[in-house]
Amino acid sequence: MTTLLETRKATMRFGGLVAVSDLGLEIFPSDLVGIIGPNGAGKTTVFNMITGHYRPSGGDILLEGRSIVKYRPAHITQKGIARTFQNIRLFKDLSVLDNIRLGAHHRTGYGLLSNILCNGKYRREEERIRKESLELLKIFGLHKKHDHLSKNLPYGEQRKLEIARALATDPKILLLDEPAAGMNPKETKDLTGLIRWVRDEFKVAVLLIEHDMRLVMEVCERIYVLDYGKMIAHGGPGDIQKDPKVIEAYLGVQDE
Amino acid sequence: MDYILHLILLCGIYMILAMSLNLINGKCGQFSLGHAGFWAVGAYTGASFTVFTGWPLPGFLMLFLSCIVSFLCAALAGVLIGVPCLRLRGDYLAIATLGFGEIIRIIIINMDVVGGPRGFTDIPKLSNLFWTYFWVGITILTFRNLMHGTHGRAIISIREDEIAAESMGIATFKYKTLAFVIGAGFAGIAGTLFAHAQQFISPQNFIFMWSAYILLMIILGGLGSFTGSIIGATLFLLLGEALRFFGETVAEYRMIIYALLLVLLMLLRPQGLFGKGELKFFWKGSKT
Amino acid sequence: MSESTTLFLYDLATYLLNGITQGSVYALIALGYTMVYGIIQLINFAHGEFYMMGAFIGFFALVSGVPIWLALPASMLGAGLLAMVTERLVYRPLRNAGRIPALVTALGMSLFFQYAGQALLGATPRSFPQVIPTKTYQWGELYVTNIQLLIIFCTFVLMVFLWWLVNKTRVGKAMRATSFNHHVAELMGIDTNKIIGLTFFIGGAFAGVAGILVGMYYNTIDPTMGMIPGIKAFVAAVLGGIGIIPGAVLGGLVLGVAENLVVGLWVSTYRDAIAFAILILILLFKPAGLLGSPKREKI
Repeated sequence: MTTLLETRKATMRFGGLVAVSDLGLEIFPSDLVGIIGPNGAGKTTVFNMITGHYRPSGGDILLEGRSIVKYRPAHITQKGIARTFQNIRLFKDLSVLDNIRLGAHHRTGYGLLSNILCNGKYRREEERIRKESLELLKIFGLHKKHDHLSKNLPYGEQRKLEIARALATDPKILLLDEPAAGMNPKETKDLTGLIRWVRDEFKVAVLLIEHDMRLVMEVCERIYVLDYGKMIAHGGPGDIQKDPKVIEAYLGVQDE
Repeated sequence: MDYILHLILLCGIYMILAMSLNLINGKCGQFSLGHAGFWAVGAYTGASFTVFTGWPLPGFLMLFLSCIVSFLCAALAGVLIGVPCLRLRGDYLAIATLGFGEIIRIIIINMDVVGGPRGFTDIPKLSNLFWTYFWVGITILTFRNLMHGTHGRAIISIREDEIAAESMGIATFKYKTLAFVIGAGFAGIAGTLFAHAQQFISPQNFIFMWSAYILLMIILGGLGSFTGSIIGATLFLLLGEALRFFGETVAEYRMIIYALLLVLLMLLRPQGLFGKGELKFFWKGSKT
Repeated sequence: MSESTTLFLYDLATYLLNGITQGSVYALIALGYTMVYGIIQLINFAHGEFYMMGAFIGFFALVSGVPIWLALPASMLGAGLLAMVTERLVYRPLRNAGRIPALVTALGMSLFFQYAGQALLGATPRSFPQVIPTKTYQWGELYVTNIQLLIIFCTFVLMVFLWWLVNKTRVGKAMRATSFNHHVAELMGIDTNKIIGLTFFIGGAFAGVAGILVGMYYNTIDPTMGMIPGIKAFVAAVLGGIGIIPGAVLGGLVLGVAENLVVGLWVSTYRDAIAFAILILILLFKPAGLLGSPKREKI
């Protein structure tokens, strides 16, 4: 099977601090992979490197065999990597529908002039994007609220909307940064199902960071364990649970 | 009567200025304090065009052409200033644009062809109510349509959350520049209309104070609302005239009242009159 | 050395000296700017107006016969109190409203003070009384006045005082803690409101000194005199690295010297453009300033 996303000795230094060192991840199409590790292990930094928010101090990141480290985040998203954020970052004062339509922005096929003239091309494309966006919202059960401001949604629905917005960019791989953060056990359980279902329905690979061990063990097929920026273990959920290095890293700082 | 007509004309110019600044500050969230600079670029290039070419065309055509010329020149100035400055955030951007606004003025002072510090005289009177409000209409239509499409939404998304916008595949820098350049261009048109209404312009017309006044208009109406900008520009003009009405001594305190108004608005009603909302009447369906 | 070279070198030395004098004034104002920005991230546009107020308080004190050794502390006190009251009444309610609303408010306050000053004091410039007779020292073709030396000396002393206050005293520690994180500082039992008020007071007082010194140096003051030096002082603060005390002085000196060199060797009409050009260059290439270290936004 061909690799979808690969990091080769990816390293991130902030001044003297090494946040991530020599990281090698491999993600395949339709993979469901988790990254776990204690606080400050460098998990979000990995996401920020992959999505282009940080430029790695060393190493390379490849999407379908091509290096993406020099691209800006927007370009990387257009190439097929979408993400959500640890602290939800919706466009709060925009409607639910507008949030989705913005995800579809780079797939909206009319130029500035058509936009200002409101010509036929503009109307056709707007109609298409609106329809697609509403369908996407329907899948997530949010279509009845399409004209609500996104800040007025309940917390769980905001998380859902953020995932839907990321999917609207039509990604090959979806990066979820602590999707269960702040959710109650019932919502977390629903999320488990949702993540699997998103992977199957949208044919995307999913890479997620999570603190909730149960969710990770239940959902992920493979797990990478980071500690102090280094990968200390890699394998299926069963292997990881038994790995002495992982137990040590976690027991040392266990507080969840 | 002439005076009142002149005020109505000025009001239209203020409306264009306010809406164009609101595209940058209110819709895109990039806080510019140098709008008077683009207004100046438009006024001087527009006036130069009619005076120096001296083409024997009908007045309205000359005015139309000079509006196009000033739009392009001010937009070009917008590119030159926006590309380096828009990498800065928040208050730093504000100061940098303030700096550029002043640099534009200082350059004009040093240009003898356009009169330098003495000002640019003998500009033909080509602006009238019809053509001023024609351009007000064009501004409203352009901005309204823009905001209804994906490019306008992209501009707003930057105000909402720049990092999230970038992560959604929106080339934020490109759209910031776009908003800045379109805003600058329309300020340029306001400049041409102003020059051909006053028939005399000088660097004193475009001091930093005016950037602050345009800011006052859009904050009064509501940052992020074009409807608000139109109302804000009108109120600004009416307020100035009302003070004159109370006698010369009160008119002298006009600046103090404007300054206090700005401070009180920020303290008591930072969202202005309209917040981010628009009147349904001509912004149908537009949520922000 | 040929005679023209010698003359050129004396010219150059004169520009440098004038630049350092001018730069010291910027530095004095910039110290207040940098402290206020350092502690509440506010570009206090009205800071230049505290300098103007300092000049006017000094002016009225001196013309009514108050001796200079009393007029100087009076204008420090006056400008400092004005800064403190402005913070209390206007900036404090907006402290959590974000940077842009605070910036707009500061802009409004600046315009308010300028025009209120014009309304109360008249727009025409006033000539400042000569309290200290000007003495000129000559060294070859280079002339130095005692006022210039006084300005440079005062700036240096006040910078050292401020550096000592911030780095070596309990109050300074509280200031640094407040600047680092208001909430944590409050949890540690620091009265942050008091500390911020004090910061404004010191900043205002320094601007007041600058005002009275400039009055003595240029002999003329008016209600809008604060606008341009205020903005330039901000440029100086950014140039040196905002929030860094020696940075403000370095920035002020560099700016003053650069302006005087350009005016002396090139064209005088571009004087006010220099500051903005420097500002834009520094923001683009080294936004943390000459002495600062870069920061990264957390995602």
